[in-house]
Amino acid sequence: MSERVAFEDVSVIYPGMAEAALSHVNLEVEEGEFLVLVGPSGCGKSTFLRALAGLEAVSTGRIMIGDRDVTRVPAKDRDIAMVFQNYALYPHMTVAQNMGFALNIAKIPRAEIARRVREAAELLDLTNYLDRKPKALSGGQRQRVAMGRAIVREPQVFLMDEPLSNLDAQLRVQTRTQIATLQRRLGTTTVYVTHDQVEAMTMGDRVVILKDGVVQQVDTPDNLYRHPVNAFVAGFIGSPSMNLIEARVTGNTADIQGFALPLPREVVDTAHAGRVIVGCRPEELQLTDTGIPMTVQLVESLGADSFVYGVVDTIAGPTTVITRTHPADKPALGSSVHVTPRQAHFFSCEGDRPRL
Amino acid sequence: MISRRDTIAGYLLLTLAALISLGPLIGVVVLALGEPGRVGIKLDITQATNFGNFADVWEKGDFGPAILTSFIITTTVVVVSVILSVPAGYAFALMDFPGRTAIFALLVLGILMPLEAMIVPLFLDMRRFNLDNNYWSVILPQIGFSVAFGAFWMRAFFVQSARSLMEAAWIDGANSWRTLTRVLMPLARPQMLTLAVLFFVWNWNDFLLPLVMLSGSDLQTAPMALVTFEGARRTDFAYVGAASLITIAPVVIVFILLQRSFTRGILAGSVKE
Ligand SMILES: Nc1ncnc2c1ncn2[C@@H]1O[C@H](COP(=O)(O)OP(=O)(O)OP(=O)(O)O)[C@@H](O)[C@H]1O
Ligand SMILES: [Mg+2]
Repeated sequence: MSERVAFEDVSVIYPGMAEAALSHVNLEVEEGEFLVLVGPSGCGKSTFLRALAGLEAVSTGRIMIGDRDVTRVPAKDRDIAMVFQNYALYPHMTVAQNMGFALNIAKIPRAEIARRVREAAELLDLTNYLDRKPKALSGGQRQRVAMGRAIVREPQVFLMDEPLSNLDAQLRVQTRTQIATLQRRLGTTTVYVTHDQVEAMTMGDRVVILKDGVVQQVDTPDNLYRHPVNAFVAGFIGSPSMNLIEARVTGNTADIQGFALPLPREVVDTAHAGRVIVGCRPEELQLTDTGIPMTVQLVESLGADSFVYGVVDTIAGPTTVITRTHPADKPALGSSVHVTPRQAHFFSCEGDRPRL
Repeated sequence: MISRRDTIAGYLLLTLAALISLGPLIGVVVLALGEPGRVGIKLDITQATNFGNFADVWEKGDFGPAILTSFIITTTVVVVSVILSVPAGYAFALMDFPGRTAIFALLVLGILMPLEAMIVPLFLDMRRFNLDNNYWSVILPQIGFSVAFGAFWMRAFFVQSARSLMEAAWIDGANSWRTLTRVLMPLARPQMLTLAVLFFVWNWNDFLLPLVMLSGSDLQTAPMALVTFEGARRTDFAYVGAASLITIAPVVIVFILLQRSFTRGILAGSVKE
């Protein structure tokens, strides 16, 4: 029953808006894949889901589910289940009625509905709550009912719009694992939206990074971390995020406060306006005797590691730089130290264009 | 935390408000039970024992048929108007169709226009369609006025409360009609009941429209019967008081009856998150 989903050059422009909320998106979700959409607020994540669900009309392109072109198919006929951020449970129906509503509409026989609701309730640990109204449930239970309402349908595609954002931190971590496990068990193609990059990295088979309605990169969590295609992705993924230092290209090197970092040939050739952004994750920077001068501003100890926050003067002005060290090596506040990249990524300074 | 002083002040205010609004009504009750045929107003509670006044007035003023006429007209108007207002409000709130704003503006204009400004052309129209002096000549315009307000009222409810539930229902495979009847209407029950009460009160008490429309027939509504009766016995205050009470009794009864399911409705709707 699970199906492939494809966006082909899809744009969504809300009426009266100059900017597209979603701009020429090309994307394929494999059968049974767990795809996570992540990006800052307002980048078009919900718009993506709503377009796929049929709640928002697309301005260009087409949307395929399996071999079916659903671009003009109304929401009710798309065979998609969605978990809303606010759950949108029907307040006048019991948990069982909420979960069975779609089957009821589809004229599935009563006994069959009862069986499927019972099974879903067992899976989600809701058996004791079937006769309750949503009002009488905790936030976590409501979240599970919303999940239940989606899974009893056995749809072709699941859509989830920040389903965990209303839960407290602990429950969120727990539910995160449950959802991922459940999805693997059911094998239903799933598009999951979050603005939390940790959620994205831990749950997704692949992750889509979206910014201003434009897809920046689609890749596995590992590849996103190791090979971000531009400075935006580099800064967005990872916590603390990657240090991004703007530098002048001199000869075959990037010059950061007198420190010369050798540049690969193709970076030198394509550098924009003689500048380049050097990206280093905190663990890729080392405290050394010589290197890039930095003034220590804050030291955070987390037991096994320490994070040293400092300021480096770059051609783009003072920039905060974070490095990870062993607690034994941690420098004093206000002292001047030097850092050296063990490894570096290079990005174009020109907006968020893909890597050089 | 509400302090004791605030509670007492609250009760005092409520009692005062109740007295102000109930005072005249109590006066009318005492008046209606007074001695018939006496000239001049005298409110004497010790003499308020003439329960026979109601039977006399019922008889003399022909209130039986008038109340029946009012009842037929008003119930039809209330039922039809509520049934039409709900889908109309739904459409204005949640469906995209060409001309939505323009049609809605027209509707609001209909609410703002006083009946006095429209009554003559309305009467001529009814006559052209041969509907004058007939129930329909009152029922149809009243439905028109009521639905204008009702669509406005229901739209307000649907706009602010129902967007995501409606989308959930669509995704669950429900068409617009099912979404309305299975999801939105159960939630809108308190609003629908309130609307029914308002429609009943307004249309029952409407005087001008039936007066103009039914002038050439034997049909008269309860307020018309009351005015006729008053005209004939201007000074017999006990009878006039009794007639007034008979005329408003159905409104009070409907209000009390619906008031109950009304509170239930509000509680049922409160599960909305
Ligand atoms: N109904 C609408 N009409 C006009 N503009 C809209 C509408 N809905 C969203 N937008 C705009 O489209 C852009 C994308 O919105 P969207 O809701 O998809 O963002 P999002 O990524 O889900 O953000 P968040 O993380 O805050 O939920 C935003 O700039 C938003 O202001
Ligand atoms: Mg959103």
